Amino acid sequence: MSTAMNFGAKSFRPRPPDKGSFPLDHFGECKLFKEKYLRCLRDSDFDNSQCRIHSKDYLECRMDRELMKKEPLEKLGFKDLLEEQSEGKGPGSH
Amino acid sequence: MVFLLCGFTAKHCIQQAFSSAWFSIAHGKTSVSCTSSAQLFLRRTPQRFLNQTRGVKSHKRKYQSQEDAWKKKNRTALTYIAATGVAMIGLSYAAVPLYRLFCQATGLGGTISGHDAEQVETMKPVRDRIIKVTFNADTHASIQWNFRPQQSEIYVVPGETALAFYKARNPTERPVIGISTYNVVPFEAAQYFNKIQCFCFEEQRLNPHEEVDMPVFFYIDPEFDSDPKLARIDTITLSYTFFEAKEGHSFPFPRYS
Repeated sequence: MSTAMNFGAKSFRPRPPDKGSFPLDHFGECKLFKEKYLRCLRDSDFDNSQCRIHSKDYLECRMDRELMKKEPLEKLGFKDLLEEQSEGKGPGSH
Repeated sequence: MVFLLCGFTAKHCIQQAFSSAWFSIAHGKTSVSCTSSAQLFLRRTPQRFLNQTRGVKSHKRKYQSQEDAWKKKNRTALTYIAATGVAMIGLSYAAVPLYRLFCQATGLGGTISGHDAEQVETMKPVRDRIIKVTFNADTHASIQWNFRPQQSEIYVVPGETALAFYKARNPTERPVIGISTYNVVPFEAAQYFNKIQCFCFEEQRLNPHEEVDMPVFFYIDPEFDSDPKLARIDTITLSYTFFEAKEGHSFPFPRYS
């Protein structure tokens, strides 16, 4: 927050989130995915890039249980993970 | 002015005398008699002077028309000035929505530049710039929730989406509705901090003795790396504060203005 003496300086303006608010997970339906993600974070010393798969799983869980609007994962920034997945599946299927 | 007029008449008397003398000499008339002196003092306006509008009255008429011309000029000038004044006032009123539109279109001055989903899809992570995002949780004195982050920090790079969790617990015997807002420090980094989805600005209801996980899905704009003011910033703190939403109390939600 800007101090009281900051006349004319730009003040912080909170912005609404792009896709709105997450509905609360009252029944803990996706708690397991969350635990996996947090454990991964703690193991990798809080490095996000290594735990993105778990965050993707968590969001997919939310989407499946109507706790989040269904969106293609590319729009949520998981395009590279999906490409890796399809690459991994490709040679595996042959 | 009167002296000038006298001078004029005297001049024309002399002129007349000369011309009549010359005329009489030229035509061989020797009628130079005592009547010519009377003629000299007889004030007769010769023909060529009749057509001129010189004279006291005509001069006054000319002055009058000049004054009229000035008055007309002044009036037109005044009209122009008044019109300009009105136009300025109108422009200052119109400037408010116009400026808003301009800011939204160009994103100058740090206003919301209309993030689109396209950016999230196509942005490339800037791998060599690692930013530590620390989390802070606060509650207002009147709300009795236990509110805390579930991780102390996350190392993230600009252009990569990240997920973070907060946990809130209602230890009281009655359902409590809370509403939260957030803050990002340092201030210059706040414009690059984009939340895709979170739990702020909407009423969240917690039943008695209920505990929920509250996720925040965010990313840092890749432009963060190219801002010279932020070249030495490598820590961003995201801070959430929960307030109690009382019945009938409406909070001003941040909107695109």
